[in-house]
Amino acid sequence: MRPSSQYQSRRGSRLNNNLEMPRKHKPDYILLVLIILLLSIGLVVIYSIGPGLSVNSGVGTNYFINRQMVSVFLGVIGFGIAAFMPLKYWHKLERPLIILAAFSALMVRVLGQEVNGAYRWIQIGGFSFQADELIKFALLIWLAGFLANNIKAGTIADFKKTLLPIITALFILGIVVAGVESDLGTTAVMMAMMAAMAFVASVPLKKIAIFGGIVVVCVILAVATSSYRQQRVATYLHQSQDCQNSGYQTCQALIAVGSGGILGLGLGNSVQAYGYLPESANDSIFAIYAEKFGFLGTTILLAIFAALFVRLKNIVERCPNNFSRLLVTGILAWLSFQAFLNIGAMIGVLPLKGITLPFISYGGTSIMFVMAALGIVFHISRYTTYTVPTKNTEGDDYDNSHNGRRLRGSRNPATSSRN
Amino acid sequence: MSMNNTNKSFALKAVKNINIIFILLMLVIGFFIIRLFYIQVIRYSYYKHSALSDQLAQSKIPASRGLIEAHNGSQIIPIVLNQEKFTVYVDPTLIKNVNNVADKIVNILGGSKSNIVSLIKTKNTRYVIISKKISQDQSNKLLALKLPGLGTIGQDYRVYPQGDLASQILGFVGDNSQGSYGIEEDMNKRLSGTPGYLKAITDVNGVPLAASKNNINIAPKNGDNIVLTIDVAIQKQLQEIIQKAAQSEKSPLISAVIMDPNSGAIKAIANYPTYDPTNYYNVKDSSVFNNAAASNPIEPGSTVKVFTAAAALNQGVIKQNTTYYDPGHWLIDGFKITNIEEDGGAGTRSIEDVLNQSLNTGATWMLMQMGGGQINSKAREAWYSYMTNHFRFGKITGVEQGFESEGIVPKPDIPYQSGDQQDLNYANTSFGQGLTITALQMDSAFSGVINGGKYYKPYLVDGTLDSQGNISYNHPGVVSNNVVNAGTSKSIISLLQQVVIKHYQSGFAYLNFPSNYIVGGKTGTAQVANPKGGYLENEYNGTYLGFVGGNKPQYAIAIYVTTPKVSGYAGSYGAQPIFGSIAHMLINESYVSPIGN
Repeated sequence: MRPSSQYQSRRGSRLNNNLEMPRKHKPDYILLVLIILLLSIGLVVIYSIGPGLSVNSGVGTNYFINRQMVSVFLGVIGFGIAAFMPLKYWHKLERPLIILAAFSALMVRVLGQEVNGAYRWIQIGGFSFQADELIKFALLIWLAGFLANNIKAGTIADFKKTLLPIITALFILGIVVAGVESDLGTTAVMMAMMAAMAFVASVPLKKIAIFGGIVVVCVILAVATSSYRQQRVATYLHQSQDCQNSGYQTCQALIAVGSGGILGLGLGNSVQAYGYLPESANDSIFAIYAEKFGFLGTTILLAIFAALFVRLKNIVERCPNNFSRLLVTGILAWLSFQAFLNIGAMIGVLPLKGITLPFISYGGTSIMFVMAALGIVFHISRYTTYTVPTKNTEGDDYDNSHNGRRLRGSRNPATSSRN
Repeated sequence: MSMNNTNKSFALKAVKNINIIFILLMLVIGFFIIRLFYIQVIRYSYYKHSALSDQLAQSKIPASRGLIEAHNGSQIIPIVLNQEKFTVYVDPTLIKNVNNVADKIVNILGGSKSNIVSLIKTKNTRYVIISKKISQDQSNKLLALKLPGLGTIGQDYRVYPQGDLASQILGFVGDNSQGSYGIEEDMNKRLSGTPGYLKAITDVNGVPLAASKNNINIAPKNGDNIVLTIDVAIQKQLQEIIQKAAQSEKSPLISAVIMDPNSGAIKAIANYPTYDPTNYYNVKDSSVFNNAAASNPIEPGSTVKVFTAAAALNQGVIKQNTTYYDPGHWLIDGFKITNIEEDGGAGTRSIEDVLNQSLNTGATWMLMQMGGGQINSKAREAWYSYMTNHFRFGKITGVEQGFESEGIVPKPDIPYQSGDQQDLNYANTSFGQGLTITALQMDSAFSGVINGGKYYKPYLVDGTLDSQGNISYNHPGVVSNNVVNAGTSKSIISLLQQVVIKHYQSGFAYLNFPSNYIVGGKTGTAQVANPKGGYLENEYNGTYLGFVGGNKPQYAIAIYVTTPKVSGYAGSYGAQPIFGSIAHMLINESYVSPIGN
């Protein structure tokens, strides 16, 4: 994290930015290594279960890996664009993103195909696009900007200015994603994202509790109105009793995880992927991974995720401004909550949600948006402060480090405002 | 308060809050690791066991059932083949779009879509049979759809290119792959082969995954292909002859056996009524599955006189040209033995007369000669020994058929019940009443009498056929050499030829045969035992025992006609015409080598 030597030449342009950024330095390469590790694990697992997947899907053994490689390639492009795109452009993209997300949500219902009682996909040519991922991404960008603005304006605890728009957004999401698309898993991830961002933005806990209450009501409504969800909840509550019908996937997932043992069956030796465990490449991929690599492998995978979360948390602590801080917080909540929902279902502690494991699961849309989000994080990691602000920190602007090398024109408070 | 202070206090709060979130995340990860430790380490053996109970298939690999073939002139042609048909099943848990799948199935198999939809929607199972006995072609089309959860299993079914030919000899194979009746039952073990054994980890459809060192795969040993002694053309014509006779004579059951007396090879066995083995499950009266010629012993009547004469001749107590005074009736144990055919009363009779006129008094007289002039213990012992040891009545022949019956021969010294008349009983057996014999036993013993004295075990299985079409013969051969001596054999042949000639001369015009063939035979008309005791009034069974040949007899023929509705004696008017048709068929179609060849 050495500061860049081009400080002077870049200074002018940064001064013109509404978003004040400290000096550019080396990005977080460890973050990059962790991402590459996770993507590689996903590719290896999907490659190795190709023959198993072909048993019941009627496609060739290389169908899934070939498409996944395309997805990873597109993800890398998304990552690259986000990594180099200045943060201010995301503000400009906020409105188009929301319009695009709303449009795709509509298209899902009109053109989308039903999978397991949920509408999530739009077919475009030979590829299918998962609208939820775009909605999630748009929500992230919008909410970070919105909360940052309210912090700046000092209205973060204001009901009308902060809470009401969030609750409105919540309702729209609840109706569109949970109600229309019947995708409760993604809704839960979005809720978690919103809650975490609001919490980090210092929205008073009491007020967060209000939308906590709203969520509970929504969940109860969602379950009560869909027999498919009722079945999943019932399955969750009586897991081992119904292995033949609605509990089949959960049982087979537990068998896959449990039969992996300490060291696993080995890379090429998964049996459950041969048609026993539904969605082996997507929602159930963690169970297949656990079968192949055992307790050792699952611990390592969880450790990699933990390390990723540590990197994200560190970046949040050192973010140069509120917008970036809230963006990274949202991304951390998104990735962690989605991973937990997925893994929790595979190890029988949460009901099945039909949600992918970030980086690992088969699926292009998920990988593209996750990678774009991490591209943003990677970009932000170039501008982090040297230290974490503490009560003992001297000086009036946490953005400026003591060694002075990160000093910039921000001594003028006006420049750090965002219009 | 400056903006910087606001920023600073916000940043502090944000750092604090992100750490709270982070700690929660780490707690979840910690909990997951504990949970994974529980599932993967502590509960490992439980889940391993569950996995294997799903994944490990231990199955028999069925062996292909052997084919059954038969002679057709110099060729060997299949008469029972296998055809693989398929059972279609679905795993309802793997079928997502029920309507779509049902449509595709109906397109190929036809039938009702709603029926298939309801089958696919069956709860609590992963195996539902959609259809049975579909063709290979249909199965291939279904599998080409590559629908997850849809599969087919092949199973061999018997097919019969010759229709109902020899169905009662063959028997059938049930849905459980076990042979029932006939050759299929008797030879079930050899036809079945030995199933292979497979123990392997499989995919969800039961297809074994790539070989691992734990997989066990023992290949099945297919069943033997069996060649029958049956001649298809003779069998076919015999079936036609007796079917016609059964209809014209209104007999409820006719059986006929054609055997090579010089080897015991059975050329044809037919019974009427019979059944179509392809649709065996439509048969209402299961007695039709029996090969009655081997399983239905009856009191044969006067055809037994052939054996009485052979026994007496062989003991030397009479000679072919012996004559005696026949009083017209005998009084034995207080009962009068007379002749059914009221022909002439008392007078001097020859052995030829006894057979030709079928004299009960003559047969009784021959039995008396075995006892030195009267029916006594010596006569009974001697005749019993001939019936059971020489002619092997009362014993199963061991032919390769299910449900063969041995019949009943009365013991020489034990009364059936107190006050029973042993001498009378034995007098009755000398002309074929009071004992039961199957047509097959009769023909086998007769073969021994006319072939010079060898008792061949009758057999239907000529040998096994390898994949190149080569037969390895396996004949049971001679059971005993002491049926009768060669002289007795010659005498009986010539006596029976005379019977046929006399019958021809007395008006049975169909008994004219070319002079370069030898044809002999004897009729029998038997009273039918009443299940309530005694004999039925006006119900008679007709039987016939005869041979056709050239230098020597080449076919031994036994015919049983139960209760034909004919005017005249059942033997002469029920069974004898059938013999005539068979003998002409064999001669006319060159199955017999004439004298000199």
